[in-house]
Parts: sequence; C-alpha cells; structure tokens
Amino acid sequence: MLELRKVSKVYGQGAAVVHALSEISLEVDAGTMVAVMGPSGSGKSTLLTIAGSLEEPTSGQVLVAGQDLATMSRNDKARLRRQSIGYVFQDFNLLRGLTAAENVALPLELDGVGARKAREAGLQALTGLGLADRASNYPDQLSGGERQRVAIARAVVGDRHLLLADEPSGALDSANSDVVMRMIHAACQQGVAAVVVTHDAQLASWADRVVFIRDGRIVDQTAPAPGPESLLGQDR
Amino acid sequence: MTTLTRPHAGTGNGGVPARRAVLRWGWRLFRREWRQQLLVLGLLTVAVAATIWGAGVAANTLPANPNYGTYGTAAALATLPGSDPHLAADIATIQGRWGPADVIENQNVTTGSTQSVQLRAESSHGLYNGPMLGLVSGAYPSGPGQVALTSQVAGMYNAHVGGTWQAVGRTWRVTGIVQNPSNLQDEFALVAPGEVPHPSQVIMLLGSPAAQQAINSIPASNQPVLSGIPAAANVSIPTDSVSTIPPGAIVLVVAVLGLTFIGLVSVAGFSVMAQRRLRALGMLGAIGATERNVRLVMIVNGIVVGVAAALAGAVLGFAAWFAYAPTLQQDTGHVVDATNLPWWVIATGITLAVATSVLASRRPAKTMARVPVVAALSGRPAPPKAIHRTAAPGVIVFAGGVACLAFAGGPTGQSQHVALPLLVGLVAVIVGMFLLAPLAISVLAAGAGPRLPVAIRIALRDLVRYRARSGAALAATTFAVFLAMLICVVASIKAENPLNWMGPNLAGNQLILYVQPQISGGGPAKQLTSAQLASLGRQVDRYAADLPAQPVLPLEVAGVSLFRVGMQQHSNLTGTVQVVTHFTGTVYVATPQLLARYGIKAGQISPGTDILTVVPGLAGLPHLNMSWGNPGAGPGGGNQSCAPSNDCLPDPVIQTIGGLPDDTSAPNTVITEGTVSRYHLTLSLDGWLIQAPGPLTAAQIHTARQLALAFGVTVETKSGSVSLGEITDGVTALGIVIALGVLAMSVGLIRSETASDLRTLTAAGASARTRRMITAATAAALGLLGAVLGVAGAVIAGLTWTHSSLSDISGGTLVSDIAILLIGLPLIAAAGGWLLAGREPEVISRQPLD
Repeated sequence: MLELRKVSKVYGQGAAVVHALSEISLEVDAGTMVAVMGPSGSGKSTLLTIAGSLEEPTSGQVLVAGQDLATMSRNDKARLRRQSIGYVFQDFNLLRGLTAAENVALPLELDGVGARKAREAGLQALTGLGLADRASNYPDQLSGGERQRVAIARAVVGDRHLLLADEPSGALDSANSDVVMRMIHAACQQGVAAVVVTHDAQLASWADRVVFIRDGRIVDQTAPAPGPESLLGQDR
Repeated sequence: MTTLTRPHAGTGNGGVPARRAVLRWGWRLFRREWRQQLLVLGLLTVAVAATIWGAGVAANTLPANPNYGTYGTAAALATLPGSDPHLAADIATIQGRWGPADVIENQNVTTGSTQSVQLRAESSHGLYNGPMLGLVSGAYPSGPGQVALTSQVAGMYNAHVGGTWQAVGRTWRVTGIVQNPSNLQDEFALVAPGEVPHPSQVIMLLGSPAAQQAINSIPASNQPVLSGIPAAANVSIPTDSVSTIPPGAIVLVVAVLGLTFIGLVSVAGFSVMAQRRLRALGMLGAIGATERNVRLVMIVNGIVVGVAAALAGAVLGFAAWFAYAPTLQQDTGHVVDATNLPWWVIATGITLAVATSVLASRRPAKTMARVPVVAALSGRPAPPKAIHRTAAPGVIVFAGGVACLAFAGGPTGQSQHVALPLLVGLVAVIVGMFLLAPLAISVLAAGAGPRLPVAIRIALRDLVRYRARSGAALAATTFAVFLAMLICVVASIKAENPLNWMGPNLAGNQLILYVQPQISGGGPAKQLTSAQLASLGRQVDRYAADLPAQPVLPLEVAGVSLFRVGMQQHSNLTGTVQVVTHFTGTVYVATPQLLARYGIKAGQISPGTDILTVVPGLAGLPHLNMSWGNPGAGPGGGNQSCAPSNDCLPDPVIQTIGGLPDDTSAPNTVITEGTVSRYHLTLSLDGWLIQAPGPLTAAQIHTARQLALAFGVTVETKSGSVSLGEITDGVTALGIVIALGVLAMSVGLIRSETASDLRTLTAAGASARTRRMITAATAAALGLLGAVLGVAGAVIAGLTWTHSSLSDISGGTLVSDIAILLIGLPLIAAAGGWLLAGREPEVISRQPLD
C-alpha cells in the first residue's frame, strides 16, 4: 500500500542545511500497522508528511497504492488524499463551524459526493466509533477523546487505504489513548494500512511492526515486544 | 469498526458538492467570526449607505428643471409694471398676439423680516403654472376675501386654515396652505384672480405654439424679442440648461474612490482572517481540498461580508435618505420627491461594494492557498515577499497628477472643461502616494539605528519585513488623511477669500435690526423719519433690556464699499477682461462706542489707518480700492480712474486687528473715523446690534420681527451657515477616526504575523511593557507616515488645483488641523497600541485549531 524507496529530505541551504530524512526505505502492506518511534527531531513527522503527499522528498520515490507521487500533479495528489489517505493529528484538527458528522463527511463532499450521501456515510462512520449521538455536535462541544474519534472517522471514511497518524494520542489520557489505538487497529483489520508516529512504547505495542528512526535514518525495525498491552491485544 | 465504501467516486475539484461544502463552511465561519470583521463590514455598510444617501441628495439638490420656479412650463414670461397706465389693454394685446396666457398679479406685503411676501392673484388651474403652484392643505381661494397662504407666511402671522389674515388693509379668510413646489422660498398669499387691489407687477406666462416657435427661432446670443409686445412689457425666456456632469456620476466617482480605500482596508482585514484560519485551511488541504477549494473558502467570506454589508448599508442608506429628504427640501427650496432616486447609481454602488469585498478577499485567498499544507498546519505564515521598488514610478505618477490638477482650473472653472483633468489628477495623485507608501516605510526604518530601544527597532524592522502588508495599510491611512486634509485645504482657500469671506452670519445670541425699510407695495422704499427712527430706537432699547442684553450697539455706515479690480483670461482664451470683485460684507464705521464694545483702544490703531478688519488677508490685498458717494464713479462703474476726486481711494491702509467679531454680518471690517472726516463722508445709521447673554429663543426673535414689521424694517438672526473651523475640525476628526480604524486593523495583522516573535520574546522574559512598546511603535510609525504623506499630498494637490500658495492657507484654522493630524494621529495611534497590546500570548508554543 505504501512504499518509500530511498527517500531523503533536506531543509535549508549552506550552513543551515538539515537532513531530515536520509535514504529511508519502508514498505507498509494493506492491513498492517506500523509504529514509528524516535527522539524529537529524528524525522518521524517528515516521514509521515512525505508519505501522505503533503511534502515532496528531495530524492527517492514514494508510492501509494502503486502510484508514484512524483508523477502526480497537485490536484492529483489532492484527489489521492481525498480518496486513499486519511490523516489523524495530535491536536485533532477538526474544522470549527462544521458538526462532527459534517467534518467526517467533508472529504467525501470535497470529492464530489452529494451532501446527503456523504452525510449518511459520515453518520455510519461515527456510529461505528460509538459517536452516533454526538453527530450534530460542534468540535468545541466534544471532549478530547471524542474529537480524536471523530478525526479517525474522518480519516477512514470512504474506503481509505492508508491511515497516517501523527501522535494520535498525544493530547489524550491513557484510557482514551487505548481507545484510539484500538480503533486504528480495527481499521487495519479491515485492510487499511496504518503508519502511527508515537513516543509511547506501550501504544507502539499495538503495531505489527515498530520502526525506529534517529537522525533521519531507520536504525531498527522490530516486532513489538509483548508487554502488558498485549493482553489487551488478545481480544483485538 | 468498519471502513466505508465510497458512495460515488469523484473527480477533479469535486464539482458542485465540494463547492457547496466549502460554501457551507465559509458561511458558518462568518456566523461565528463576524464580529472580528466588524471594521470591514462597517466600512462597506457605510459606503453603501453613503452612496444611497449621496445619490438621493445629488439627484434632488437641483430641481427637475431650474426654470419651473419662475416660468412654470411657459416658453416665455412677459412682465408689466403695476404702474403701467394701460395695463389692461397691454395684457389684452399680448394675449391677442401670442395666445392664451396665465396672468399673475403681485403686490408686495410688509412682513417685518428680510423675507418678502407677495399677495398674488392667479388661477389655480392655469395653463403653464402647474409646477409653480401646489396645494398643501385646505382649498384654493375661489372668491373675494379668500386667501391661501404658504406655510411660512401662515407661521409668520400665526394664521391657520379657517382663520383670518389681515393684509393690505383688509381681512381675508384663509382657505388653504399652498406652495410653489419648484421654489419653496417663494412666500406668497394666493388670492383669486382680480383680487389684488394694487398690483406692483403683472406676470404673463406665454406658451402657445406660436410663442414656442417664435422663442425657438431666436438665436441663443440674442435678447428675446417677441413682436407685438407693448413697450411697457419686458420679456424673458427660460435659460438653457447647462450640460454638466450628471450628479449621479459624481456620486459614483466618489463611491469608487471610497471603495478603493475600503478595498485596501478590506485586503488587510481579510488577510487577518485568513491568518487566523491558516491551520484550518491547512487541514482542509490535508484531507484533499484543492487550491481552488481553499481559495473559495476565503472568497465565500468576501462574498458574505459584501452581501451582508450591502444589505445593512441599503437599509441604513434608505432610512437616512428618507429621514433627510424633508431637511433637503427645506435647504434646497423646492419639493423633494424622496422616491426620485437614480436607481442605476444605487444598483451600481451596491454591486461595486460586493465586488470590492470579493476582490479584496481574492488576494489573501490566493496567498493562503499557496501556503504549503505542512506550513499551514503548523500555523506558519507565508514568508514575506521581498519588495524592491524605486521611487521613480510613484514620483512620476504623483507629478503627473499634480500637473493635471494645475490644468483643471480650480473650483471656479467650467465644469465641462475641468472634470476630466480633475478626476485624472486626483486619481493619479492618490495612486502616486500609494506607490510611494512602501518606500516611506523603508526610509523611516532606515533610521532604526542600534541606539533605539529594542522594541522600537523590532517594530520598525517588522514594518519593512512585512512591507507588502504594511505598505497597503499605510496607503489606506494616507488616503484617509489625504481626503480629510484636501477638504480642509480647499475649504480654507474658499472660505478665507478676504473679499468673499464665508462663515456664520451671526452668533445665536445676536440679532441685528436694520433701519433700512423693505420694498413695499410696489412704490419706492420710504425712509424712516427722524421721529420714527427715534421711536424705533427707544423700542429697540426696551427690547434689549427685556432680554436682558448688553447695551444696544448702533451700527453706522458711511456708504463705503471695497472692491478689487483684476484681469482674468477670457473664457474663449482670446484675451483678458477686467474683473471687479466686491467685498461682500458691510463696512461699518469704527465709532468710539463700537471700538469700546470690542475692547479696541485708540493706541492700537496705527496712524493713517483707513480700515480696521479681522478678515485675514484683506490687508495687503493688491489692487484693492475703496469707494463712496456716487456708485457710477466708483467700483468699476465707468472708466474713470480710482482717485479721491472720483470718490474712490486706491489701496486704502488696512490694519488687521484681533478684537473685532469674525461673523460675516457683524462689524468685522470698519472704517476709521479719521478717514470718514478726511473724505467728508456722511454717516447714517444702518441698524442696531443686540447681543443677549444666551441664544435667542423663537419667541424673542418673533417679538423682534413684530417690532420690525411695525416700522417696515427688517431683522437678521443666526442662519444655518457653518464656520470654517467647524468644517475642518469635523473633517479632520473623521479622517483621524478612519485612519485609526485602518491602523487598528493593519497593526493587528502585522503583529499577528509576528506572533511567534512575540512568543519568543515572552519566553525570553520580555515584559508587557516591551510588548506594548512594539505595538505602540508600529501604530505610531504608520500613523506618522500616513499623516505626513497624506497632509503633504493634500496640501500640494489642493494648492495646485486652486492655484493658491502656502500663504493662502496659513490661517490658524488649517495650521491647527495639520498639527492635530501630524502630532495627534501618531500619538493617539501609539496610545491605542499601548493600551490594547501587552496581553501575554495564550499559547507559547502553538495555537490550537479548535
């Protein structure tokens, strides 16, 4: 689903040059959750934005669902994001002025789906995440956990294939963090490929694979060590 | 948990559903954040309201046809004196030759005020007098002893419909209230035809096809002559209406200029909004919105703001117009139909307001749509563009504008010749200042040396860094100051013409009772006898004592007038003609009583002084002459040179003295007693000036008028004229308010763009004082530059257009307004910035999206 081939990203010039990523190669198959861990400034978020077509790599190749991003126009990339890529951010990034259902339906509407059908799909996604009764609420009327669940619903609505989450539980307590990870995991079981950036080793244990990055390079890739959370995983 | 199947695969930009979704979000954002756009909303609302109000005023200030008030729909007017011994026969002759005519008989009636009233006999159903006669209430007089009065005459005599009115020695029954719809100043008492006992004048309105044809065949340059008209009759025809710029077009031009300014402010306002929404717009991009979608969000905001302002402005404008129409009717002296509006101007104005809002939103929309999604998500604004401009384009455009204004010929030029260069000149001057604005910022910031406090250095350097925005803000501020100062300059030059000095005639507590009788009954004016004069004087003293007022000040005149002889280019540019300009005020005599009243001591008057005046510029005015005695030998009458032997004194010695009052009817210019005796001038009493301790009431004025009526003389009280100071102070205050509004918006924008710096400063331990200082310095710098550029541009443009020099505007009024703008605006801006800034940033690291 997602394939990065020797991707590098350099910011700045001359003395101010920063090598955010150096020849990163990574493959994420459908139905797989990959956790990306590393210290601050190691390039985790850059990896995610490049994988999601929000930024272009300085060199290397990025393929999403077999399509090379380098060959796509800006509008094609926008369409790819609408149809195939879902984002979940640490601070939710829901749009004020739109209800939870409208936020979820927005990618579909932007893609040309009629408002009624898009709203039905949005409601269905919210129902699947246990938020049917909060569909008409505005973001500022929801709790942090609820907002992140709405964000996840928006990321997966409409048959998305790739879910990219940047510290999805960074602003949540541990209970809500688990709920969020459980939902991402459930999406993976439906065939979605997920890349989750996290600092938290316990949350990383939900992943099928953990990638460690340091100074823009992948320094290790392992299956997560079973910990207390793996007990929870037994009934995933 | 299940992923969902896409109901329908979309393409491209998402089509109608995507636009609908974006529209919905834009609308919801406006509903949530309209308060943060109040300045733009308010300015656009005021622009639309002012356009509607201005269109109403412009379209209705002049009557539909300026000839209606005098001629009705007639093609010609024949006037016969009441003293014509063959009056009836002459009327019959004219009617026999030129067909049926409306015959109007007039007899003057004394009223005791400067307003003359006529007893008028005419048919209420005449052939041509329709636009001259209207029934307000009651009925037209239909028989002997019946009269219909205009409302002012009825008020003057406290008469009402059904009551009685006494005039010309008989009692009349009032049947109705009438008016001349085309000339509301026309005060008359309408009686049935033949009911005027001693007409002083008979007017015949001629309009038969034969008369029409004969009039049309008269060349424009010739005097109107109709054959078969008796020698006693004087014929006049309506003047051709002069083709000028339609008032609606002028309103539209002003509206466009105003909207240009508002557009600049709106760009800043929408940029602020876009900045606030940057992360949300980034999120929209992250979930797949195209650049077009992102642009649409901001443009929708512009559309909604424009439409909302247009609706609010339309309501406000129509309400203001309908409320003002009666006042306009009173001021213009003709009936104003409030529904007579140039709808095309209003429709265009409203459309332009919405278009301004949309166009203003396009630039920030475009800018925001280009911000990379990652940068937008992190709330980082687009880096400021480096602008490298030379001063040459601004200087060239400005100079071109000034040249056009010089060619435009000043405020007295012929409108058809000056309109284009005036408009082009104004626009070019404004555009030139806009082009120079960013450079002015660089010049100011260049002085931000290391010795200045760090807060001021940061503020000035940020202005340069964000010059694309600060330049627009400075241009808008400059524009507000420019317009205010231009009005001040032109008003000052017009108002401070020493020969035609404008301003209020009297203070509210002053009244002059003139002893000159008003023309009455068609006969020659009868001067008061000595006994009558003495009796009137005693009654005036009693009236003043009842107020109670200061001792009455007798105003004496010596029959002196001032005039200036100059040369002016002929209108066809073929040579020069002699032009005589008279001093419009009355030259009173500087009696000891008058000088004592105004605290002027004999020692203050220079020896040899002929004239004392408070009018600035009168002393030293070249080619000024003073005449007395036989008018034909004096001011321009005949070809005799100005010499004492011809009752004329060239270049009289004039001393400007501060103690005299500066009202136009009060004794602001007086002749010294020494000059009176030197030239053996004859003194006569012109009237009495009465000054009460407080404003005169309507009842007190009425009493004075009754007193004047009893003696057949007139009174003068305060009119509605405004002083130059009131005009310039009001305009200056308005300019400052608008400029401050612009500054508030733009300083907010610039500071919001540098919010991260502010957070860094705060994190580094900067106190609220530093933060306040930065904002205050930003506002003060923009205010100072705007004031300097605006004042300089307006003074140059105003002086050029009016062909005046700096000395013409060196009066205290304008100098104080310039000082207020140059010092007050930056100070107020700095104070506002200091007071409103200083709050510690809520989030040091990052602002949340929701």
